[in-house]
Amino acid sequence: MSERLLLAIVVLLVALVTGLGLFWNPELPERPLPVAAGPAGGDFTLQSADGPVGLADYRGKVVLLYFGYTYCPDICPTALAGAAASLNQLSAEERGKVAVLFVSVDPKRDTPARLKEYVAFFDPAIVGLGGSSEAIADVGRRYGVFYAEQKVATAGEGYVVDHSSDTYVIGRDGRLAGKLPHGAAPEQVVAEVRKGLNQP
Amino acid sequence: MNKLSLLVAGLMVSAGALAGAADQITVHEPYVRLAPPNAPATGAFMVIRNGGGKDIKVVKVGNPVSKVTELHTHLNEGGVMKMRPVPAIDIKAGGEAVLKPGGLHVMLIDLQAPMKEGDVVPLTLTFDDGSSKQVEAKVVRPMPMEHAPKH
Repeated sequence: MSERLLLAIVVLLVALVTGLGLFWNPELPERPLPVAAGPAGGDFTLQSADGPVGLADYRGKVVLLYFGYTYCPDICPTALAGAAASLNQLSAEERGKVAVLFVSVDPKRDTPARLKEYVAFFDPAIVGLGGSSEAIADVGRRYGVFYAEQKVATAGEGYVVDHSSDTYVIGRDGRLAGKLPHGAAPEQVVAEVRKGLNQP
Repeated sequence: MNKLSLLVAGLMVSAGALAGAADQITVHEPYVRLAPPNAPATGAFMVIRNGGGKDIKVVKVGNPVSKVTELHTHLNEGGVMKMRPVPAIDIKAGGEAVLKPGGLHVMLIDLQAPMKEGDVVPLTLTFDDGSSKQVEAKVVRPMPMEHAPKH
């Protein structure tokens, strides 16, 4: 009797462990992020404080493209300070062949005028670009950028924008060459830029 | 130099006046990031060390420059940075909490007046036992990640 009971317990335990191993996945992400595998990139036109600006205007230059917003309290200033430091490590000649574009993912609050003042604080050469929600969404899709408003009980009209924090590197031919992770050292950015400049 | 001795004197006075967790805590390299124009918020960063034998939480940081002050962290999910409030910052016994760009930080929201580089912002850290400590944080321009003050 007790042997049978023991056997039953063992069988039950084995079944439980096997079941757990098969079906229990505690590391499931709360919400899978869209995978930015091989975004196409490509030309776009958005609004700067000084009129429309197209990526095609920068053909022949290496473009660093960043998506952010002016209410962004920490991540964007770090990224833009990094971009400015990278520009400062280039020679005057190289600088003339590099552009930095900051595209707002917060079209509700960021006007082109507001963006211009914001980016100029970091470096007057950085261009701030805004547009309609649809125009921004279209550019975001093509570059594989994720962004989403999040209600966070905080000031600044009550929301923050989660967003991809990579910097996209676009070659002189206008093609997406790659991306740099948030916090990439200016030396790394400069190396990527020079790689782009050395390409025909 | 004069400023430094004032600061030291001030710290000694507050250490004498307030007992508890505050006595076990030392704060290193506190700074406030200069907010770009049109940015309604900015971050304060520092390293908080706990020299005592008990875990301590920072539950509140007060300051005179912003209407709201919150404790935040960042979650990096596949390159997407998500900023979220946290109820407290834990500092383990004998350990430290590093508040730095891209991670834990004190968020100063709704700045009352524009700051300028070199300004000093007094920050009052309140701990879970009710004791508190004031530190003076210098306002500095945003730096790329690798160039943030070393500790």
